[in-house]
Amino acid sequence: MRVMKEKEIKQTREEQTNQPALINGHAHGPRVSVLASACAFTCQREHVKELQSRILSLASAFSGHVPVASCGADASDAIFVLPLGEPCGHRVVVVWLVLLAAWRNAEAHYHDRSVGSLGRNFRPSTLKQATTSAGQNPSTAAGNTGMDEANGNKAAVADIQSSAAGTAKPEPPSESQSLLRTRRWIVLSFWAIVVCFGLPHWLWTTSTYRASLPLEQMNNWAEGKACQLYFPFNIRLGVQGWSQGEVDQLAEQVRPLLDGTDKQSPFAFLIDTHESDCGYAQADEAVAVSLAVNDGRNAHEHISSLESWSSTLSLRYGLARPKGRDGLARWVADEVREVFQPQIESLIHLLSGTPFALERTALTTAATQAKLDARNTRAFKYASTYHLTFSLFVSGSSPAAWEIEEALHDYLEPLIDALKAISNITVDTQVQLHASFSPSIACPVYDKSSKEWKLRKEDLSGFINAAEWPLSPSIGSGPTINFVLYAPTPTQSPLVIAETGGSSWLVPQWGGVAILNSQTHTTRLSKADLEPTMLTFADQLTSLIGLPAEPAQSLALRLKALSRERATSLILSSSSTLGALSRLTLKLTSIAIPDTVAASVQTSLDHLTLACSDLKAGRYESALTHARTADEASEKAFFEPSMVGQVYFPDEHKVAVYVPLLGPMAVPLVMIGLKELVKFRDARRKVKTG
Amino acid sequence: MLLSSLFLLPAAVLAQTYTEHLHLSPLAQTSHLLAAFNFTSTTPLPAYESGHFTHFPRSLAQILQHTKTRELHLRFAWGRWDDEQWGPRPRMGRREGGTGVEIWAWLDQDHGGDVEERWSGLVNGLSGLFCASLNFIDSTRTTHPVLSFDPEGTHADGVTGQELLHGTLPHEVVCTENLTPFLKLLPCKGKAGISSLLDGHKVFDANWQTMSIDVRPICPAGGNGGGECVLEIQQTVDVVLDVERSMRARGDPIPRPRPIEELECDGGKGYGGGDTCYPKVKEGEMGWSLSRIFGTPVRGSCHLGDGHADADITLEVPLDRMVNVTNAQPLDAGNEQGIRSYRLPNHPPGQYTDLALPQQSVTQAVVQPQPPLYATRTITGSGQQHGGMHAHLRNPHPYAQTITYFESLPWFLRPYIHTLRVRNSETHENVKLEKMFYTPAKDRERGTHLELMFTVSAGGEVELSYDFEKAVLRYTEYPPDANRGFDVAPAVIRVLPNDNNTGDGGRQGSYIRTTSLLLPLPTPDFSMPYNVIILTSTVIALGFGSIFNLLTRRFVLAEEVPASKLALRVKAIVGVAQDVVGRLKGTKAVEMGGDAVGSGKGDGMGNGAG
Repeated sequence: MRVMKEKEIKQTREEQTNQPALINGHAHGPRVSVLASACAFTCQREHVKELQSRILSLASAFSGHVPVASCGADASDAIFVLPLGEPCGHRVVVVWLVLLAAWRNAEAHYHDRSVGSLGRNFRPSTLKQATTSAGQNPSTAAGNTGMDEANGNKAAVADIQSSAAGTAKPEPPSESQSLLRTRRWIVLSFWAIVVCFGLPHWLWTTSTYRASLPLEQMNNWAEGKACQLYFPFNIRLGVQGWSQGEVDQLAEQVRPLLDGTDKQSPFAFLIDTHESDCGYAQADEAVAVSLAVNDGRNAHEHISSLESWSSTLSLRYGLARPKGRDGLARWVADEVREVFQPQIESLIHLLSGTPFALERTALTTAATQAKLDARNTRAFKYASTYHLTFSLFVSGSSPAAWEIEEALHDYLEPLIDALKAISNITVDTQVQLHASFSPSIACPVYDKSSKEWKLRKEDLSGFINAAEWPLSPSIGSGPTINFVLYAPTPTQSPLVIAETGGSSWLVPQWGGVAILNSQTHTTRLSKADLEPTMLTFADQLTSLIGLPAEPAQSLALRLKALSRERATSLILSSSSTLGALSRLTLKLTSIAIPDTVAASVQTSLDHLTLACSDLKAGRYESALTHARTADEASEKAFFEPSMVGQVYFPDEHKVAVYVPLLGPMAVPLVMIGLKELVKFRDARRKVKTG
Repeated sequence: MLLSSLFLLPAAVLAQTYTEHLHLSPLAQTSHLLAAFNFTSTTPLPAYESGHFTHFPRSLAQILQHTKTRELHLRFAWGRWDDEQWGPRPRMGRREGGTGVEIWAWLDQDHGGDVEERWSGLVNGLSGLFCASLNFIDSTRTTHPVLSFDPEGTHADGVTGQELLHGTLPHEVVCTENLTPFLKLLPCKGKAGISSLLDGHKVFDANWQTMSIDVRPICPAGGNGGGECVLEIQQTVDVVLDVERSMRARGDPIPRPRPIEELECDGGKGYGGGDTCYPKVKEGEMGWSLSRIFGTPVRGSCHLGDGHADADITLEVPLDRMVNVTNAQPLDAGNEQGIRSYRLPNHPPGQYTDLALPQQSVTQAVVQPQPPLYATRTITGSGQQHGGMHAHLRNPHPYAQTITYFESLPWFLRPYIHTLRVRNSETHENVKLEKMFYTPAKDRERGTHLELMFTVSAGGEVELSYDFEKAVLRYTEYPPDANRGFDVAPAVIRVLPNDNNTGDGGRQGSYIRTTSLLLPLPTPDFSMPYNVIILTSTVIALGFGSIFNLLTRRFVLAEEVPASKLALRVKAIVGVAQDVVGRLKGTKAVEMGGDAVGSGKGDGMGNGAG
């Protein structure tokens, strides 16, 4: 009866739907046959067996009814000749078969469902055909009992009747558990590939490289926590004709007077009384005090003098004064303090407003502050190299030459040599004829009373004709300091500034300008003609480099003060650069950080630490060197071109590239995933409730 | 020609000198005027090395010092020199460059650092100085010629330890922005002396113009102790001006018909009816003056008090031609070569100098000398993939000349050297190559360098040809105007000095450059990458979608598809909406009915009930 019914149904379906023979009525599902010979050519028999067993186990895992025939193509639904290129590509075969089985499975279920649903799906015409075919072909049911047949027919008729009478929508047959499981596995495996391989790969290929930076250390420096700045001044005290014990005693008296009451002050005076090998101050000494005590009866004089080329403070003390020997220690302390007071004020000013600011130090007066501000705005930022350019701009065509080489040698080179202790300095000169005034300024006006041409003070800032005068910066690192000597035409001479009557001025952070009002009109300026100008330029150079004005008598002490200030300001600027870099990397998460940046940051941190310890030990020269390296490294890290020049991809661009690919792939993945989740939840609920 | 004699080394080298010179010579049989400006200044080498510059421009000197450049030759050129009409080139072609920008320099090798790196520094520095795109001269446009260039300066130990690099930029358009920095390098900056004539409007309106800068060290002959070595900078500007065009009214550059009174009519025509004007054929040489051609007379002078008294302006016209001189001192009324020379007055503030030549018929025939060689070069072939290069050289002289032929080709033009043929175009016999240097191109790294040396027989013609293949560039390598084509630098031909043509040429010989060529390359459809992205994505998505759906979907008959919740909900909403609309319509209909037939209320109600 069962067979007969199947045949009936088959006939019916063929008539009704004119379905091609792809689906044939095997209730037990499709068969997959492997042409074992293909495999047998390339591998041993046991491999074939192994293959068979694998397929079988796989097939059973898929669904209960995918039998595999190892030979004989007649019973199978399809023959697949598998490309076994490599010897025994079992895995390839297995993967193929998994896919095929899944495909076949789907087909089989389609068919199963159609078989199962036929009972409820019959239409009257079909019913007629079915009954007639059942009646007309009794022979087909020859092997079955009449009871069965009758029952079957009855059942069929009952089904048909019920389906014809009912108006409910037909429902697909329920799927077997194994099938559901298989589908779940497929969805899960796709999601696993996407999550475990696709997403990481995508992120990896689109991410930017960010080297790890020691952010905490960088912030410590930026916040001034990493280093407590401390400025010791080493003072060598020597007294002519005194024994070591007496000198030590004097030093003991002077020390508390120098340090003052504030024990927390970052400025400390260390007094060394040991004789130095040479008479001059050592490199790490702030000052050498050479005291001569005159115990003569009429020795009243208290004289302190500084030497220009060495950092030595010479003191002469006459004991004949009322206070005599008792006042000596206080007087020495006062003299030393006087030398260092401007430096201390300037350092306090430098540190104010930074995280390294000294809380306990007394603030300087407003006047001092204004003076220090003016000095800082005039001076160039510290650089390891400065280029000096001396230019002669001639309004007409004469003088066309100057003895600049000789003049520089005599008037400026001693100063430049002294400054080379702090920075490298290169010098070049040029002569430019036919230099016209800048069009932005008012032309000089002739003043009949003084017989001078007057230049207004407002025009001084625009005096340099930047468009036409070739004052381009020199090649190489470091700023260029320009010194311009302007020679007006004889008809416009003398040319002076209206308000002050002067003939030279300084352009902050750019250079100096002087006007040559020579009475003799030569074609070549001699060294003597240039002398006043060169001295003006020398003075302007000290201001532009940032040399402190005090103590005016000693250039050596001023240079030491400058190196102290420069070391401090470099530590400050390097720290703030590191802080800015750390904030930048945290703020811009898409910015790439190459390894060179990390290396530069590390160099900068190392040298900052060294500079800090040198500063504490009073080795200012070495501190300056380290601070310079640290500052250069931190600037290099901050202005790393590969970090700055990142390519910007707008979001629209990304959407336009990704959507055509990811959209059509993601939609079915997500939809099926959601569906399976919902089904899974429903099943769980059923299990719980049931 | 006088200009060739300007190359002789100064007999007595002064330490710090500046001279300027303008040579004017009308080109025979045409209405063209060649104006050749030369500005030369020297500075002692020790002063240069210690950074003290007087007349030598500091900005240029610093670039040269920074890149350890010993000798520099920089050329900006535009236009074509018409050999047939104009004869030999000025200064024997040695102050002339190929179209666009050409630069070659000798750089020190032994100063550490990579020579290529310093070369890149040099071209970048000059790029900034001259507002030109010289920075695009990278390794693909740089070659190392062997035969074509010799150093002009005196180098103590020859050029061993120095490297010659040569770069071209044929695409560069030379214009006013290059002339302005050029003038700023001069001591008088175009404000006095003959440089005051140089105005961008006139120089770049010329038929042919070239600007050059040459820096070379010169040591006096006699080896050590003979005197101080100096560094010389020569700046030249050579222009060929169309006299008639240059003299047109400055305020009215648009060509317009002249008023009838100004027309010079030929009244001698018998068939003229008085109402027509037959233009009179001009007789003799056209009249011109400096101020009319350059728009301004020479302003003052640029004598810097270094004692020399050389001529500032020389004029090469037949001796019977009248010249009206305003405010200049004639030095030579005309030597045997027919050259007159003038010196500008010293320091006359606000004084102007002018030369005027009236229109005059000259009986003395001008003999146009022959150029050393005629050369043309063309690209042959058709299609996107292959092409050929064809150069034609003709020796007009009755003696054989040995030449070097130098080509620097871009990498995307790949020559097949096995197809290189150098043949006599009459006898079709191969010309024997005496020397050949060839550096093959590497894609995106360097261009081809081809240098040949062979002899062109007396009055002979030589054809040089080879085939090449055009490379396909990457998408991003195309310039915005890709369909314009790519410029190929001119070939540089050097006619080596021989017994017949040495003259003043010395060891340098004379140079000829062909015109630059335009090479069309296959250009892609520039929307291609986006199409590829979209197409590939679609194919992948389609394949993935169908396989995935087959694997995971359940197939049921259409009738059995369970109605989705969403569809049900939408249906419900639609149903509700329909309901509402229907109801609204119903009430409307009722209201309308009520309004229209006030007395029919009972009917309506009856209908409703029914």
